[in-house]
Amino acid sequence: MTKFTLQLRVKQSEGALVRILGVTRRRRFDLLHLTADTSEDGHFLDVQMTVQADRAENTLVRQIEKLEDVSQVEVVEPDDSASERRAARSTAR
Amino acid sequence: MKGAEFLVKALEHEGVELIFGYPGGAIMPVYDALLDSKIRHILVRHEQAAALAADGYARATGKVGVCMATSGPGATNLVTGIANAYMDSVPMVAITGQVATSLMGTDAFQEVDIFGITMPVVKHSFLAKTAAELPRIVHEAFRIARSGRPGPVLIDLPKDIANTVAEYEFHEDDTSEEIAEPSKESITRALALMRESRNPVVYAGGGIGMANALEEFRAFIETTRIPVVATLKGLGALPTTHEFALGMMGMHGTKTANHAVQICDLLICVGARFDDRATGRLNAFAPNAKVIHLDVDRAEISKLRRADVPVIGDLRHALKALTCKLANIEPWRRECSASKETHAWDYAAPGTEVYAPGFLKELSDRAGDDSIVACDVGQHQMWVAQHFHFNRPSQHLSSGGLGTMGYGLPAAIGAQLAFPNATVINVSGDGSIMMNLQELATLRRYDLPVKIVLFDNRALGMVRQWQELFHDKRYSEVDLSDNPDFCRVAESMGIPAFRVEDRADVSGAIDRLLAEPGPVLAHVLIHQEANVWPIVGPGRSNSEMMHQHEVAREVAR
Repeated sequence: MTKFTLQLRVKQSEGALVRILGVTRRRRFDLLHLTADTSEDGHFLDVQMTVQADRAENTLVRQIEKLEDVSQVEVVEPDDSASERRAARSTAR
Repeated sequence: MKGAEFLVKALEHEGVELIFGYPGGAIMPVYDALLDSKIRHILVRHEQAAALAADGYARATGKVGVCMATSGPGATNLVTGIANAYMDSVPMVAITGQVATSLMGTDAFQEVDIFGITMPVVKHSFLAKTAAELPRIVHEAFRIARSGRPGPVLIDLPKDIANTVAEYEFHEDDTSEEIAEPSKESITRALALMRESRNPVVYAGGGIGMANALEEFRAFIETTRIPVVATLKGLGALPTTHEFALGMMGMHGTKTANHAVQICDLLICVGARFDDRATGRLNAFAPNAKVIHLDVDRAEISKLRRADVPVIGDLRHALKALTCKLANIEPWRRECSASKETHAWDYAAPGTEVYAPGFLKELSDRAGDDSIVACDVGQHQMWVAQHFHFNRPSQHLSSGGLGTMGYGLPAAIGAQLAFPNATVINVSGDGSIMMNLQELATLRRYDLPVKIVLFDNRALGMVRQWQELFHDKRYSEVDLSDNPDFCRVAESMGIPAFRVEDRADVSGAIDRLLAEPGPVLAHVLIHQEANVWPIVGPGRSNSEMMHQHEVAREVAR
């Protein structure tokens, strides 16, 4: 089982996020974590997702790269700020 | 000018000559605009046929095929054809009408989320939100459909956008994309493997034809003299009668082709994707081979079989760069040629019934190199692949990836409209023809001289064959002995038809088919238990081919 985190930059367009999640599911990767934020200029979505699968990392990376609206794909270390934000929210409750 | 007129004008700008479609409520503004256009619209009788005809047109010409339907059921009926194009990487633009934007998301009459439904089977898709962006969307859709690894693109057009009046404004940016050349390093490494190899095999796929790389591929083969096996879509990349062509590989491949791949020490995969029907059991496929994989789609590299050397980019550049003389392989090539002769097809079958492989061989010999064959899916499809000669891949229209029964007749319609003077043949079966039978009316309407060869075994032959061989002869829902009288069906739609029952009548039947100036259907009865041989069983390695005489021996025991 491999587990890894992808950082994506995606053009804001009809169904862009659904398309990425669809490819992820169809290629048999399980989604463990997802964040998506609009970029400062409003033209892009910055997506971070953590997935796991029995298949090699590149199987998914190469398929996502091909999507017309995806301009950047990187395998990254998970960004702690997201989990920190979650932690902050639960503290605030 | 209205949005619908923008769309049509943009299609004209892309050089579209033909659209296959079917009108309905939400797409009506576009049909209105088409009345004032020089684009020819072909009215099919079911939207699935519109998409499949656009696919056949695209495969035969190399151009982008265009199909169109209304919202709701019109759009969902296109889906099989779009998926068919997706699986076989065929350039297509599908245009669907949509309910007005104010009604979207309200479960309106004939509203369906076609954008969402088709997402897994399109290369990309657009939902038009303003009329002004339509020219750009159309231009982008065509660029995406044909660039790199081609595929279908959907444009969903809400009715109010189609009716919006705006200024037509379009400045084409230069988006012609050059496909990157493969890296020098990959070429050097590939050449080194080729020079080391004693028994190399080239595994030729559909990518060669789609990359327009026939000339480069043939020069590569003539110079290196490497034996070639082909996938279903790779047939004709090298003429199938060529000395170095060992035939199709895989489940119904030739003994020579499969054996060569299984013992080769180097497999050069050119524009193919290690599909399970081609490889058999993957972990036993070409067990001794290093792999060089040439492809434009990086995602195919090492997807199923690890490539020792990936060569990513334009096939034409790659093949040119790899063309060289090889010193070591002549004994191997002679061995392959000898095996091909030893295992040549035998057309002397027992009995007096029509023998489909023999029929197709004779039809192929007589129809000539300019003919185009569109087949459906099943046993007859494999017989076409085995026994027809192909001089170029665009001569062979076959649903490889999706395996769509009902593909053949619409695809033949698309090809015949593209090449009005060519001999276009639809080889079908009694199962498949019923999937898009209504298109006989389209043949008549446009008086398209498609020759239909309908092999009838009163069964779903391929499923019957599997039940016989792999399910202990437990036959489940494969009997079609209550088929209609196909000759009368054809005649009722204005297509002359005749029946062939005896092997002695085959030559006369082919005379009649080829002499008929208009459409014609030959209803050819074959033995119900005729099977496609050889076959690799499901989950088996390509080394374990079953041959007719062996199975007959088993049964006799």
